[in-house]
Amino acid sequence: MKKMIQPAYIQLQATATSQQGVFQTIADIAVANGIASSQEAIVEGLKAREKESTTGFQEGFAIPHTQAEEVSQPAIIIVRTETGVDWESFDGKPTFFFLSLLIPKSEAGTTHLQALSALSRALINEDIRQAMLRATTSTELATIISQAISGEDD
Amino acid sequence: MKKKIVAATGCPTGIAHTFMAAEALQKAAEKLGVEIKVETHGQVGIENALTAQEIKEADGVIIAADKDVQADRFHGKPLIDVSVAKGIKEPEHLIEQILQGKAPVYYAADYDGAKQETDQESTTKGNNSKWVHTVYKHLMNGVSHMLPFVVGGGVLIAISFLFGIYSADPDHEQYNEFAALLKEVGGLGFSLMVPILAAFIAESIAKRPGMVVGFIGGLLASQGGAGFLGGILAGFIAGYIIILLQKLLKGLPRSLDGLKSIFLYPVLGIFLIGIIMKPIIIPVTGLNEGLMDFLASVQSTNPLLLGLIVGAMCGFDMGGPFNKAAYVTGTMLLAEGNLYFMAGVSAACIAPPLIIAFATVIFPKYFTKEERNAGAVNFILGSTHITEGAIPFAAKNPIVVLPIIMLGSSIAAILTYLFKVQVPAPHGGFLVLPVVTGAFQWVLAILIGSLVGAFIYGFSRKKAAQK
Repeated sequence: MKKMIQPAYIQLQATATSQQGVFQTIADIAVANGIASSQEAIVEGLKAREKESTTGFQEGFAIPHTQAEEVSQPAIIIVRTETGVDWESFDGKPTFFFLSLLIPKSEAGTTHLQALSALSRALINEDIRQAMLRATTSTELATIISQAISGEDD
Repeated sequence: MKKKIVAATGCPTGIAHTFMAAEALQKAAEKLGVEIKVETHGQVGIENALTAQEIKEADGVIIAADKDVQADRFHGKPLIDVSVAKGIKEPEHLIEQILQGKAPVYYAADYDGAKQETDQESTTKGNNSKWVHTVYKHLMNGVSHMLPFVVGGGVLIAISFLFGIYSADPDHEQYNEFAALLKEVGGLGFSLMVPILAAFIAESIAKRPGMVVGFIGGLLASQGGAGFLGGILAGFIAGYIIILLQKLLKGLPRSLDGLKSIFLYPVLGIFLIGIIMKPIIIPVTGLNEGLMDFLASVQSTNPLLLGLIVGAMCGFDMGGPFNKAAYVTGTMLLAEGNLYFMAGVSAACIAPPLIIAFATVIFPKYFTKEERNAGAVNFILGSTHITEGAIPFAAKNPIVVLPIIMLGSSIAAILTYLFKVQVPAPHGGFLVLPVVTGAFQWVLAILIGSLVGAFIYGFSRKKAAQK
C-alpha cells in the first residue's frame, strides 16, 4: 500500500486566494502525483461537498474532501496558503491550512477510511494542530500526519 | 456517581466530520468528568454502536448529525439534537445542557409503537422482549422507507383514474396520454413498494450488504405474487443470510474485506435468496388458484359466508396473494356477467384505507403527525380502490391491525352482498359510482364497515397509549 501522505503531496506556500484557487491547487497536486486522472473532477467534487456544508473548522483549518471515480488511490493533500481564504469556518476566521482527503469511489476496504477518520479525530487535538502549524518543511509535516493517523488507530 | 451520556454522530459523506464530532464530544466529556459513549455513523457503517442497555442507563442523549441516526431508540430520554458542526464546535455546551437538565425529553415519531414495545417488554421477559424489540425495529425501518413509495405512486395512480377508469388503455375511447403517463410512473413507484420494504428490513439487520439481497428477495416476492407478507419474509431471510455469510467468512484474511463487500456478499447473498425464495413462492401461487375455485363455488350457496371470506381475504394481505385471489376471481366472474361478486370485493378493498383514514381523523391524539398526513392520503387511496395505502399501518403491528381491517372489510362485503349491489367495473373505487346499481347502499355498506374498523383501531391505539 502506497503511503497516503508524502512530502510531495504538500504545498506550504501556495498563492491561491480564493476557494476555486485552493481547489485547483489540490487538483494540480493530485494529478501531478498520479493520485487522480482529472483535475476537473476533483475541483467539481470538492465544490459539491462544500456546497452541502462548509468543511471549515477553526483556527484556520479546513478539511475539503471528496470521493470520486477519477481518484485512483486514497491520499491526503495539504495546501497551506500565504493569505487566508474565507471558508465560513466555525470561528469566522479566514482559513489557510487545508487538509484535503481524496478517496476513490471503489474504496470498499475500510483501512483507508479508518485512517482518514483518525486524521479527523486528530484535528480536534490541540497539540497536534499546534504541531502542524509549527512544521516548517513538507517532510516534517508529513511525519506528523503519518503519526497522527497510525497513532490514533486503536 | 459519574453522569453517563450516550451520543451519535454522522454526516452525509461520513469521512471527516462524523469522527471530529465524536472526538470533540469525548474530549469535552473527559474534561467535565462525564462518562460518554459515542456511536459514529460513517462511511464504513456504524461503529461503536450503542446497546439498548447503554441507552437505558444514560442520563441523556446527544445527537450531532446531519443524517438519520435512528433516533427512535432514544424515545423517552432527555435529548439534544444538533448539526454535526455544533458537535465539533461546542461539545462542552451540549454536555452541560444535559447535566443541567435542560434537554427536553424526546418522544419518537412512532410514539404508539414505542409504547407497545414497553408493553411487550413488561409482559415478556429477558431475551424474549429483546427479540420482539429487534424484529419490530427491523420492520419499522422497512415500513418507513416504503411509505413514500406508497403515497407517491398511489396518489399518481388515483389521479389517473380521474381521467376515466380506462384512461390508460390505448385501445379504449377514454384513452388519455397524460393519464397513461401518470398511471405508468405511479405504478412503477407502487411496484417497488414490496422490494423496498424487504430491502430496508434487511438493511436494518445487515446494513448495506443486506439491503442488496433484501431488494432482490422483495422483487422475487412481488413478481411471484407473494405480496407484502412475502416481502417481510424475504427481508428477514435476506438480512440473516448476510449475518450467516459474515460468520462463515470470518476466517478470511482482513485484506479480503474489500472483496467481501463488493463481491462475495452480493453474489452469494443473491444466489441464496433466490434458492430460498423460489420454493416459498410456488406454494403461495398454488394456494392462490385453489382459493379462486373455492370462492366461485361459495357465492351461490351462502352470501354471508362469502362476504366474510372475501372481506377477510382482501383485508388480510392488502394487495398480496389472498387479496389478489379474491380480486382476480371477481374480475373473471365479471367477464362472465356476474356483477355481484365484484361489488363485495371492491367494497372490501376500499374499506382498509378508509379504516385507517377515519381512525386518524377521529382519534388524532393517538397518531403521530406523519401518520395523520398518511391517513389523509388514505381517503384518496381508499376512494379509488387502492388497498395498499393501509399497508404501512398494518405492517407496523400486523397482529393487531390485520384482524381489525379484516373485520371492517368483511362487514363492508357482507352488507354489499345483502344489499345486492352490482358493480360492473373491476377498479376505480367511488369513481365508478355512476355505473353502480345500488350506489347509495354500496357507499353505505363501505362506510359502515370502515367506521366500525376505524373505531376499533382507534380504541386499540388509545389503549396502547394509556398503558
